[in-house]
Amino acid sequence: MPPLVHHSRVPRSLVAVATLALLLTGCSASPQATESTAPVSGGTLNYASGDAEPTCLDPHVGGNYPQALVGTQFLESLVSRDSAGTIIPWLASSWSQSADGLAWDFTLRENVTFTDGTPFDAAAVQANIAHVQDPKTGSSTGYLAVRKVVSTSVVSPTVVRLTLSEPDSALLESLSQPWLAMESPTALARSQDENCAAPVGTGPFTVASWVKQDAITLVRNDAYTSPPADAAHTGPAYLDSIVWRFIPDSASRYAALQSGAVDVIDNAQPDTIVQAGKSSTIRHLDAPRPGASNRIELNSGRAPFNDPLVREAFVRASDVDSAVASLFQGTATRSFSALSSIEPLGVSRPDLFGYDPEAAATLLDEAGWTGRDSDGYRTKGGVRLSVVFPVSTNQSIPAEQSLFEQLQATAKAVGFDVVLSPLDLSAWYTALGSNSYDAVSAPYTKVGPDVLRTLFDSAGIVPAPSGYFANHAQVNDPEVDAWLTEASQTADAPKRAALYAQAQNRVLEGFYVLPLYDQQNHYLLSSVVSGTRAMPTVSTPTFYDAWLNR
Amino acid sequence: MARLGGAVLVLWLVATVTFFAMRLVPGDPAEAVLGGPGSQTSPEALAAVRAQYGLDQPLPVQYVAELGRLVTGDLGRSYALRVPVAPLLLGQLGGTLLLAVLSLLLAWLFAIGLALFSTRAGRWGRMLGSGLEIGAAALPHFWLASALIVVFSSWLGVLPPVSTPGPAGLVLPVLTLAIPLAGFLGQLMRESMLTALEAPFVVSARARGESEGGIRRVHVLRHASLPGISLSGWAFGSLISGAVVVETIFARPGLGRTLLNAVTVRDVPVVIGVVLFVAAAYILMTLLTDVAQRIADPRLRRA
Repeated sequence: MPPLVHHSRVPRSLVAVATLALLLTGCSASPQATESTAPVSGGTLNYASGDAEPTCLDPHVGGNYPQALVGTQFLESLVSRDSAGTIIPWLASSWSQSADGLAWDFTLRENVTFTDGTPFDAAAVQANIAHVQDPKTGSSTGYLAVRKVVSTSVVSPTVVRLTLSEPDSALLESLSQPWLAMESPTALARSQDENCAAPVGTGPFTVASWVKQDAITLVRNDAYTSPPADAAHTGPAYLDSIVWRFIPDSASRYAALQSGAVDVIDNAQPDTIVQAGKSSTIRHLDAPRPGASNRIELNSGRAPFNDPLVREAFVRASDVDSAVASLFQGTATRSFSALSSIEPLGVSRPDLFGYDPEAAATLLDEAGWTGRDSDGYRTKGGVRLSVVFPVSTNQSIPAEQSLFEQLQATAKAVGFDVVLSPLDLSAWYTALGSNSYDAVSAPYTKVGPDVLRTLFDSAGIVPAPSGYFANHAQVNDPEVDAWLTEASQTADAPKRAALYAQAQNRVLEGFYVLPLYDQQNHYLLSSVVSGTRAMPTVSTPTFYDAWLNR
Repeated sequence: MARLGGAVLVLWLVATVTFFAMRLVPGDPAEAVLGGPGSQTSPEALAAVRAQYGLDQPLPVQYVAELGRLVTGDLGRSYALRVPVAPLLLGQLGGTLLLAVLSLLLAWLFAIGLALFSTRAGRWGRMLGSGLEIGAAALPHFWLASALIVVFSSWLGVLPPVSTPGPAGLVLPVLTLAIPLAGFLGQLMRESMLTALEAPFVVSARARGESEGGIRRVHVLRHASLPGISLSGWAFGSLISGAVVVETIFARPGLGRTLLNAVTVRDVPVVIGVVLFVAAAYILMTLLTDVAQRIADPRLRRA
């Protein structure tokens, strides 16, 4: 789990506050001033999200991060993941797979009921898998995660069996995601509109109301019994309720936190994180998302990046380190991996991604881009060395957009014409789907290293009819395909790790991607909030253990 | 009657332009139904949604169907929010109207106050007034909103930075919209006030022995408000577009924020609905402006 980070400047101010408190109270330590007070029940936590308001609160439908953020508070999954990356029990207390890896038996926790009174049992799990796999549900993230599940059966009321079409080493990681949370079969039987408005789970809170374009109100589930194995306490949550609002503007969100109008904000931007570091009443929770790192993917499916020399030249021409340092002001750490730093099987290769404009120039000479046009860009056969780079203004934060501009400038010095085109989300996906890009930066959140198969298997090159595909680098290497398929099927953990390492090294050494940093995911919390952590699955905050000391 | 016909024509044009603009820019409305663009939707689900919403039909067919629905007063259902558009927008309308009307009133108050002060206060007063007006008119909403939040919420801590149910939450959004508008209105008012102060009817009023203050408040102000009144119709439109920015920054529910979200995900029915609402409000405002002009200007009544 990503640690609850105090900004480096906070400890000094905490010391100052503590000293002051000692003076004021006549040298008897005030219990209010420290975090080690016993949890108190009651109160309403105000949460402000910078993400888009979900269109449906049921994460089976579609399946994006805003749904996961709020869903974490009222829905639970079969398994979870601890901070070391090990799968741990949640609604399932144990599991086993057959020798051929095609049948998985999950033993369910007993005496768990959904908040509408429906019992949680094997039939409920069946209903949930069926709901995710039903095309009418319109599930995407969850649907992909249980693609290998061909049938489910009830072994006993507390044991459910999943039958697979081929072994799936990522099954448990997939099931830990909030997009495959367990919902009441009674509630799922309602119309989709009804279920979207107030899904029913087993979680510590329930959805009391959702006023669209305003706020979601969650209230405590007093009959709660099923925390994950790594929770800090048992029994019901401490908070009475949570009011979940949407404040899209970063500065307003931070001002709301400062003024005490809200207690927790997400999507904190580098400038506000730095500001918050100077405050003694605001804490910072840095929780990088799992799955892929943020990276620039170079489209090897068309010129100029179909030439590995040009890809390497682009990497050498890009001064990422300086740009990250100046624009993220110490809030982001440079990544040299295709995977998030929270993925234990990620391979980091700092040796590959150094900035060296002279080497870049030599590589371009070697690749035949020797001409120069009147604007100073390199040419080959009269064609300018241009890199079409669509930028999603919805997904790339302002600091990242500025970072691309800085890279554009350093790449220009070597002779690349990087054409940045800022696009809104719909237009951006269309640009990708029509293969009209040379470079792109697309986030991808998923628990576990199997995300590599999504990103680099050649099957992901062909756009689905929706225009969506994830192999933006268009890596087309039969060996990579074979390693990734084998890794996804083997039950042998060391072998799986070795195969994923092999595939990652091949991709990194081929300069298909230029890693930047982890998918940034920063929360700022008022010091009145204690006991909050980010789930080690997809790094959403959980308020089950949280309490308020107002 | 001619006015009514004109209004219908405007609404039809607005709906048509919006429909084609939304469908010709890149992006797939079917994805809005399935949780937004890029939600890795399965092809089967997309096909089902396209068929359900008629998005697989040729564009002209979709246009005729859309228009047919609109004519019967049915604004359709939001793709993304899964609710009927009309009640959704009616729910959002109040907040935006309140914001726009309060801002317009406050802008008029500022403008009149500034004009009365600056025409009386001599050369320096005029320069100060003119400078303030030009400065205010040039302020972009997003900058002003952030500056007001920094000063009144972060430094002074007297006003909430985001919308709250009480009236306190309205102060900063209204100020943000009113200040630039007051700059525009004030410039117009002062110019025409200065012209009016030289006009024969003022000279004759002075000759009748009316007080200088009375002349300004009764005769000059009325004359000077005319260009401002005709500008108010336009101003109302600009307030609605300003509401997109202000509602987003202050996290207020309203038409502007609804529109922004809907455009991002290509939620066509909502976009058309908002645009129609705004166009209708604009037409209504133009009519009201005409009425107000007749009240302020006796010449129009006699004509």
